[in-house]
Amino acid sequence: MPSSFLALTSFKDKYSTSPSSFQVSSGREVMENSASLQESSLAPSNGTLGNSSLSPSIVTDHMCASALPHVQHSHNPAFISQSSRDLASLPPLDASFSQSTASLIHTQGNKDVSWSLDRLQMFLDLPENTPAPNQLVESSTGVLASEDHNKKTNWQEWADDLINVVDPDWSKILDNTNVLNPRVEVPKPSGDISKQQPQFHQNQLVPHGEFSSHAYPSSTAPPTKPRMRWTPELHEAFLEAVNQLGGSERATPKGILKLMNVEGLTIYHVKSHLQKYRTARYMPETSEGTSEKRITSIEEMKSIDLKTSIGITEALRLQVEVQKQLHEQLEIQRNLQLRIEEQGRYLQMMFEKQKKVEDEKGGVPSSASDDLLAPLPGSKHPPCNNGKSDSEALEQDHSRTGIGPGNAGTNEDKSSSGVSTKLKMLETESTVHDESGFSVSKRARTEK
Amino acid sequence: MKFGKRLKQQIEESLPAWRDKFLSYKELKKLVRQISSAESCVEYGKADAEAEFVHLLNNEIDKFNVFFMEEEEDFIIRHKELQQRIKRVIETWGPNGTKPSEAEYKDEMAKIRKDIVNFHGEMVLLVNYSNINYTGSLAKILKKYDKRTGGLLRLPFIQKVLQQPFFITDLVSKLVKECENIIDEVFPVEQEDEEEIVKEQREAITVAGKGIFRNTVAALLSMQEIRRGSSTYGHFSLPPMDLPDSDLIHSFQLNSPIPIV
Repeated sequence: MPSSFLALTSFKDKYSTSPSSFQVSSGREVMENSASLQESSLAPSNGTLGNSSLSPSIVTDHMCASALPHVQHSHNPAFISQSSRDLASLPPLDASFSQSTASLIHTQGNKDVSWSLDRLQMFLDLPENTPAPNQLVESSTGVLASEDHNKKTNWQEWADDLINVVDPDWSKILDNTNVLNPRVEVPKPSGDISKQQPQFHQNQLVPHGEFSSHAYPSSTAPPTKPRMRWTPELHEAFLEAVNQLGGSERATPKGILKLMNVEGLTIYHVKSHLQKYRTARYMPETSEGTSEKRITSIEEMKSIDLKTSIGITEALRLQVEVQKQLHEQLEIQRNLQLRIEEQGRYLQMMFEKQKKVEDEKGGVPSSASDDLLAPLPGSKHPPCNNGKSDSEALEQDHSRTGIGPGNAGTNEDKSSSGVSTKLKMLETESTVHDESGFSVSKRARTEK
Repeated sequence: MKFGKRLKQQIEESLPAWRDKFLSYKELKKLVRQISSAESCVEYGKADAEAEFVHLLNNEIDKFNVFFMEEEEDFIIRHKELQQRIKRVIETWGPNGTKPSEAEYKDEMAKIRKDIVNFHGEMVLLVNYSNINYTGSLAKILKKYDKRTGGLLRLPFIQKVLQQPFFITDLVSKLVKECENIIDEVFPVEQEDEEEIVKEQREAITVAGKGIFRNTVAALLSMQEIRRGSSTYGHFSLPPMDLPDSDLIHSFQLNSPIPIV
């Protein structure tokens, strides 16, 4: 794999082929793409990529298919705002690439923090790189998530190249639409979206920023386009609009958008959806771009003497059955997982509440474990194996002491104290999982 | 490392275009290892390390979300198109159609059946994709993180994961069910003699290649394996799988270089 990364292909070559070259079908190709892009973006004048000392760890198996240039990401916030302006000025280049499974989002390369600085320098050959562990990161904004702080001008060039290669429709569209950033900001929370028919979910990227305890710039990277989650109802509305406008070939995104009249829906959403729709319509299932690489089971089965039509039907039935089973198992698994987490939540709430109580009593931390454990099995509720009654008992407990879950936060600092050790012990202990739910009391007793 | 291997297998067994959309489990594991060993090293403080880890996870999650929603959108479109297509075929070549033709009808229906079944399979595989990544990011990597670093990242983080689009697979599941209905309509009723043939076929079927069928079988077997033995059972672990008719699945021999043990 590393060797393909080192294979240098010129950017122009790659993209002078038909637009289908965007449909990256294998990891290998991808890496050549990214390699070429990388090369042109980062070290235009030298062949550092050919440098054998380049750590193979830079490129991982998970280097993603990306039609768009990778960039390094610095933790320098000043950068982000600067490059975000760049990003903002190139919004329209996203949507059409979403056809096939070639996602715009590139996974990170190796974030191995042990990269030495000079190695990076060598690789990038850009002295002005900031001395932070550079990462081939992407923030998935669904658009050009990569930012090249050093190569602003190249960016424009690529954009032009891409525009030329892609469906000519694009350039028309680009001319028409504003290249300002009308929809750079993530729209307001979904509460603002009017409840029109049809409903749709709008997924925002900003909430992901909540995850990180620090304000990492890249996790709240300026989303140039909020991601739209389509629903069948929304699609129906789309179809209606398209039909009214004379079919998928005639209808324009602008017209569709207007007709649909759905708040929060942008022309870019419509555009990309239209593209997908056209693809699906004029390439029936079997010859769809994405299925190129798929050898359908039918061809496989043919080799086992299933030439008769009955045979094929049977093979199909078999396939469906297996697929149904997988689906069923997945649903079961998912429900289990949800339940497990739910119980975990209750458990934590309970513990934190207990802690609060003992804090108020002014109890010593070391005896906290006793305090926590003792009341559990005895007074509050009888030992039970049923997860449901656990939660109920917890809730009773909850209301009795009258402490809200909001207080939980304050207790998290004392990581070495009873609460967290309890949780950790619970998480890592080796008692067999009880299918019907975990029994808190049982465990509590055995622990002590 | 068991899970890591399984995940790798799963990824290799999956549709080629999807392979880089999975959780970068290995990378994250590396990071966790680094973090725990670097804890003594002041240079990269704990808070920073955690932030870094979280940042990576967020990126992964974004990746899942985007991919998932793209596929979901595709499915919505294709689902509708399939329905239209069936309607068209019936209306054109069906017995009451504009140009009834049994040959054409049969022909088209055969194609439709194939397409529907594959479509169904693809959707299920997407749900599987979602699940794998959840299991990977949830049960495994976060657990590892907490274990190694003494952190308490898992619980709150998981709560957020549960609300992510890629985890909320309801719509795709619904489409799957609808697809199953269509399949029932489009497939002829199973005859007596067909059942015989079916039984024979099930005896030994080698699933070769990289088709959807193969991936599905692989996924099922993998899932079973993952849940069969866990070195660390906790109440956050999933119990062993109860796979009805598992002999059916096991009768498939996956012809692959990587044996699924």
